[in-house]
Amino acid sequence: MESTSVRVEALRKSFWDESRGEIRAVDGIDFECRPGEIFGLLGANGAGKTTTLRMLATILKPTGGQASVNGHDVLAEPEAVRRSLGFFSASTALYPRLTGRETLEFFARINRYPADQVGQRVETLIERFGIAEYAGARVEKLSSGMKQKISIARTIVHDPPVLIFDEPTVGLDVMAALEMQRVILELRDEGKSIIFSTHIMSEAEKLCDRIAIIHQGRILALGTLEQHRQATGQHYLEDIFVHKVMEVEGAEDTT
Amino acid sequence: MDWNDVWILYRRELRSALRERTIVVNSILMPLFLYPVMLWVMFTGIMFVGGLVERTNSRVVVLDAPSAHAALMDTLRERENIDVREEAVSSDSAVALIRVGDLDALVEFLPPEADARGLDDNFQVLIRYDRAVERSRRARDRVQGIVSGYRSRWVVREASALDISRAEQAQFRILQDNVSSDRQMGALIMGILIPLFLVLMVALGCLIPSIDCTAGERERSTWETLMTVSASRLSVVTAKYFYVATLGITAGLLNVVAMFVSLGAIVGPLLADLGGEAEAFEFSLPLLALPVMAVAAVALALFFAAAMMILAAFARSFKDGQAMVTPVYWLALLPILLGQQTDQTLTPAIAAIPVANASMMIRDAINGVFLWPLMAETLAVLFVMVAGCLLLARSILQFEELLLGSFDGSFWRFAKERMIGKKGESQTSAGAGAD
Repeated sequence: MESTSVRVEALRKSFWDESRGEIRAVDGIDFECRPGEIFGLLGANGAGKTTTLRMLATILKPTGGQASVNGHDVLAEPEAVRRSLGFFSASTALYPRLTGRETLEFFARINRYPADQVGQRVETLIERFGIAEYAGARVEKLSSGMKQKISIARTIVHDPPVLIFDEPTVGLDVMAALEMQRVILELRDEGKSIIFSTHIMSEAEKLCDRIAIIHQGRILALGTLEQHRQATGQHYLEDIFVHKVMEVEGAEDTT
Repeated sequence: MDWNDVWILYRRELRSALRERTIVVNSILMPLFLYPVMLWVMFTGIMFVGGLVERTNSRVVVLDAPSAHAALMDTLRERENIDVREEAVSSDSAVALIRVGDLDALVEFLPPEADARGLDDNFQVLIRYDRAVERSRRARDRVQGIVSGYRSRWVVREASALDISRAEQAQFRILQDNVSSDRQMGALIMGILIPLFLVLMVALGCLIPSIDCTAGERERSTWETLMTVSASRLSVVTAKYFYVATLGITAGLLNVVAMFVSLGAIVGPLLADLGGEAEAFEFSLPLLALPVMAVAAVALALFFAAAMMILAAFARSFKDGQAMVTPVYWLALLPILLGQQTDQTLTPAIAAIPVANASMMIRDAINGVFLWPLMAETLAVLFVMVAGCLLLARSILQFEELLLGSFDGSFWRFAKERMIGKKGESQTSAGAGAD
């Protein structure tokens, strides 16, 4: 098996804006993510995190460069890519009129989990996330905490080797955010390749094995937290982030 | 495209839809119950209003009543719904009273015209009334009925006295014979109502689901979730399309059943109560009309579903979607009006007009007329329209800003800027990638 689950090379994405012309949302980034690793994309709002992850999930087509997930090219084999990953973000909501159990069954089947094992898989996840009590209730009637659990279960129900979490803790209370972090660490320990985007420094510090600092569509620095510390002489990730951004913006000012 | 994926997605759409009150009401309950109930309410209302009208007395003043015709005055006075005012008024003041609504009619007896003076005591009656007032018109009708009846009897009596037989009096008579069978009379009513409601119900059945599965998904933020499943985009859209068409077909056919049952069970008895020719109506359909209606419902549903989904795909919220799609529903009404010409059958020209052709084809089938080549033309025209819509949809879906719902505008703006103006796919709008 290939030791890299996600490979991104010179990936670019441009958008057109009536007033501003061409906007390079992602401007030639490279990274890779390995099994059993949490790879963090750390950046401010508008840095290009979501665009990058949407290209990996084949929701958007890259303007240039290459990306592959589990050996499948995002342009050539989009269905195979989507089958190999689970995508979780604040904008991926659940169907309100289905029950939790129906939701999991639907996503398992549509993502080609073996049909004869769907029932078993769904029950395993219901037990794992402690949602048995309300698995038969419609999603629209559940609290946000309950929905969050079903949403995570939905993301992993087809047992994909790659998981993408795009700012998963946005809007969650402290306890729910901690629960989310616990689940992500568990999934990492199970050998999943996890790409995790956030703008919350403490979260990245706590969870990520390697971190890419992304700013204006470009990766400014990539490495472990220790490598970032050594490179910048800063201890905290927040200071490291500011240091890298200021370095680039200072350079831009002088040019 | 994987048909297993389409089936999984289709079942998911349908399951969700059948749990949504708005969809169930619009696509199932309204077609099933609204029109039967509406027909019952309408006919009951007519009967109720008719009863009220019958109980209202007509206020009448009679001037210069001839003494030789006292029996006529007696008849007028004895009639329960006529109130003959005995006060002495002139013709002008009576007319003034009619104008202000204090009187309903003035009955003036006048001498007969010169050439009608052969019979003793002959007369003519002038009824003055206000045509703009329903109550006054009713008084005229009542008085006219009584005077006409009296006059006929009087003429017969006078003629008999002169030894003129009834046959000689009549000279010639006008006879009528309706050659329509009871079934044809029923078909006339069904031919007007069923095509109209079938088309409307198919459109109504597609309306809410087409918005719900596009703009509604965006509003609920489930669209992006759906974009991350392993099924192809084509499978996703195909499943949604079949789902919308299914609800359109269901609504149309449920309505036909409901209309058919209600015409026989509600309208027939109510017509009988109204004293009409209810016994002359037989509501039955030729067996072949059923598959024709089913095929028409399928073709119409596929057409409406495609057209409505294209427009709804541009909406970002359910409310936007309603504003964008509802005009299609009303536009469907226009061609149906062509199909309401009851003495017209399907022609090559009408068969080329979408919706009107299906409406006419259904009416012909109800009347037992099956013009197979023109029916084939009708279906060909509808399926060409469907194919056109699907090709357009396919072309539109190449634009990822539309797929993600980031395009801010209607179909017309999109067509102008992106398709006619040819701004390429790579130059999609900045909103497509928010972060």
